[in-house]
Amino acid sequence: MKILVTAKRVPDPEQKVKFKGNTLDQSGVNWQLNQFDEYAVESALRLTENASSGNARNGEVIVVSLGPKDVQQQLRSTLAMGADRAILVDASDENLDSEIVARTVQKLVEQERPDLVLLGKLAADSEANDVGQRLAGYLGWPQATFACSIEVTDGGKALLVGREVDAGVETKKVTLPAVVTVDLRIVAPQAVKNGVTAATHAYADGPRYASLKGIMAAKKKTIADSSLAALGVAATVRAKVASVDAPPARKAGVKVASVEELVQKLHNEAKVI
Amino acid sequence: MDAFDLENPTPEHKLLRQTVRDLVRDAVEPQAAEYDESATLNRGLLQKCGELGLLGITIPEAQGGAGMDTVAAVIVHHELAKSDVGFTLAYLAHSMLFVNNFFHNSTEEQRRRYLSKVISGEWVGAMGMTEPGAGTDVLGMKTFARRDGNRYILKGRKALITNAPDANVFLVYAKVDERVTAFVVERSFAGFSTDKKTHKMGMRSSTMSEVIFDDCVVPAENLLGKEGGGVQNMMRNLEVERITLAAMSLGIADRCVEIMSKYAATRMSFGKSLAEHGQIQRYIAESYAMTEAARALIYSVARGVSHESRNRLGSDAAKLFAAPVGKMVADHAMQVLGGWGYCSEYKVERFFRDAKLLEIGGGTLEAHQKNITKELLRQIS
Ligand SMILES: Cc1cc2nc3c(=O)[nH]c(=O)nc-3n(C[C@H](O)[C@H](O)[C@H](O)COP(=O)(O)OP(=O)(O)OC[C@H]3O[C@@H](n4cnc5c(N)ncnc54)[C@H](O)[C@@H]3O)c2cc1C
Repeated sequence: MKILVTAKRVPDPEQKVKFKGNTLDQSGVNWQLNQFDEYAVESALRLTENASSGNARNGEVIVVSLGPKDVQQQLRSTLAMGADRAILVDASDENLDSEIVARTVQKLVEQERPDLVLLGKLAADSEANDVGQRLAGYLGWPQATFACSIEVTDGGKALLVGREVDAGVETKKVTLPAVVTVDLRIVAPQAVKNGVTAATHAYADGPRYASLKGIMAAKKKTIADSSLAALGVAATVRAKVASVDAPPARKAGVKVASVEELVQKLHNEAKVI
Repeated sequence: MDAFDLENPTPEHKLLRQTVRDLVRDAVEPQAAEYDESATLNRGLLQKCGELGLLGITIPEAQGGAGMDTVAAVIVHHELAKSDVGFTLAYLAHSMLFVNNFFHNSTEEQRRRYLSKVISGEWVGAMGMTEPGAGTDVLGMKTFARRDGNRYILKGRKALITNAPDANVFLVYAKVDERVTAFVVERSFAGFSTDKKTHKMGMRSSTMSEVIFDDCVVPAENLLGKEGGGVQNMMRNLEVERITLAAMSLGIADRCVEIMSKYAATRMSFGKSLAEHGQIQRYIAESYAMTEAARALIYSVARGVSHESRNRLGSDAAKLFAAPVGKMVADHAMQVLGGWGYCSEYKVERFFRDAKLLEIGGGTLEAHQKNITKELLRQIS
C-alpha cells in the first residue's frame, strides 16, 4: 500500500502564547509536529509493515508538509520514525488557508497516486478540521473522518474504519483509494490491522519513538522540495483572519453555602437548569 | 535554526534528544522515586534503552550500534540525568564503561560472542577497576592473574562496582606479572562471585557490590587486548567516561534550576513570591549562570572527543567544573524550597544525594586537579 500522510508543524500547545498585533508572536515558539499528524504517521507505518516479522516494510509512506524550510526538522522526525520519504512545499502560514492546503495535497496525490491519504483530524493551532474533507471532495474519493480504528479488508481493496460518534462506534467501509482522518485512539495497541501483521499483535500505546537506527537511517532519506507555483496551485488566500484574541481571563468563582443556594443560582443566574 | 545550536550540532542530535525526552517523560520519570526507594536496578528500562539503540550509541552501525558520536552520548546522559540520575549511572556503567571500552579493545571473534548481547540489553555489563585498597591509585591494585595453559586464573577482589549485583559480564583489570591487563569475565565462570549489595547515600537506582575472584577460571580467548595492555585500554576510554559523567551533573543542575524557579514563582512569603526576595534571586541566578557555564564547557569539549581524537585536559576540566555545579545547584534548590526541599515530594533531596557522587566516582576532584596541573606543566616544560 502506498500512503500519503500530511504533517503540519504547530507551536507547542504547552507553551504560553504571545500576541503581536492581530497575530500570534511566533518568535521563541517551540515548533512541533501536530499531534494528530504524528498519529497519522504512526497509523501509516502500522499499515505498511509486518510487525510480526521485525517491522519489515510492506508499502511506502510519503509525508507531505507545507511550510518554511525549518519544517525539515519535523519531517526528519517522521522519517526517523520510519516514513520512507518526504515532500516539503515551500510556503508561509500567513499565505495559506485550508483551500490552498487541500488543493496542494490534491496535486501531490495526482502526482504520487497513493492508495490512501491519511491526515490528522485537525491541526492543534487553528483547529479548522476541514482539509481532509475538502481533499476528498476535490478528488472525488470516499472519506472517513475521526478514525479510531482501521482494518484492511477485501484483499487490500477497502478499509473498515471505526469512528467514535456520540452513540458509540460507527464502522464505515471505504473502497480505496480513499481519504481518512485520524483521531487520538488510532494509536491504541490494536487499533490498526493490516492483514499482514498477526491480528493478535499489540503495539506499545502511542506513536513510536524515533530509534537511533531510525534517526541514522533518516539521514539517507530524501526530503524533496516543491512549491505552490511548481504544483500549479493558485496562492490566493480567501479565508481572512478577522482578529486574534486571547481567551478572556476566567472570572473568580463564588462560594455557595448550601445545595439549595447552588440550585437556586444555577436556575436563576446561570439559567442552566 | 540558523543560529548555532551548541547542544544540537546536527539534526540527528536534535532528534536523539527528542527521543530521550520522550522516553524520560513516558518511562523514566514515572519510576524514578520507586527505584531510588527500593535501591534496585530497573532491568526492564535498561532493556527498553536497548530496543531504542541507546546501549550501543558509540558503536559503528556496521557492528550493530547506532554509530553516533561523543556529543550524542553526552545528550543521552544529560537528558536521562534530569530525571533519574541513579539509572543514568547504571546506563553509563553498561554502555560507556563496558560496551564502549570492550568494543575498542576486542577482536572480531570477541565481538561476535558479546556485542549483540550487551547492545540489545539482554546482558548487563559492568567494569571492575577499583579495589577495597586501591581507588585513585589504580596501579596499586592487588588482583592478579596467572596463565595456566589455555586459561588464566584470577585472584583478588574489586569494590564499589556499579551494576555488579545485576551484571552478566564484567570488564576486569588484573595484573599479569605486575602489568595491568584487561579480561572479559562472565558471571558463570568458576570461582566468580559477587558480594551482597553495597548500601549507599545516593545513586540508589543503580546497584553496586564487591566482586570476588577466588581462583576464577577465565579462558585465554577472554584476554581483552594484550597482556600488559590494560592501562592503555583504560586511558583510551577516559575522555568519554568523564564527559558523560560531567553531563550527568549538568542534567541535575538543569532540573534543579527548573524546580527552584517554579517553586519560587508561586510560593508566597511575607506577602510576596519567594522570587521577589533578593536572597532567593541570588540562589536562582547564580545557579543558572553556573549551569550555563557547565553546559558551554561540556558541549564544546564533547565535540572534540572521539576514540581517535582525545582531549584529556578538556574532559578533566569539564568534570572538575561540572560536578560541584551539580552539587551546589541541588543545594541551592533545597535552600529555596526550605523544609519541602528536604522532603522527598519535590525530588530535590534525591538530586542532592545523587549529585555528590560526581565529585568522587570516575575520578575524584583531587585526581582531576592533579591531572590538569601535571598536563599543563608537561606542556610548558
Ligand atoms: C557510586 C559509585 C560507583 C562506582 N562505580 C565504579 C565502577 O563501576 N567501577 C569501578 O572500578 N569503580 C567504581 N567506583 C569507584 C570510584 O571510581 C572510586 O571511588 C574513586 O576512584 C576513588 O577511589 P577511592 O574511593 O578508593 O578513594 P581514594 O583513592 O582512597 O581517595 C580518598 C581521598 O583521597 C584523595 N586522594 C587519593 N589519592 C590522592 C593523591 N595522590 N593526592 C591527593 N589526594 C588524593 C581522593 O581524592 C579522595 O578525596 C564507584 C564509586 C562510587 C561511589
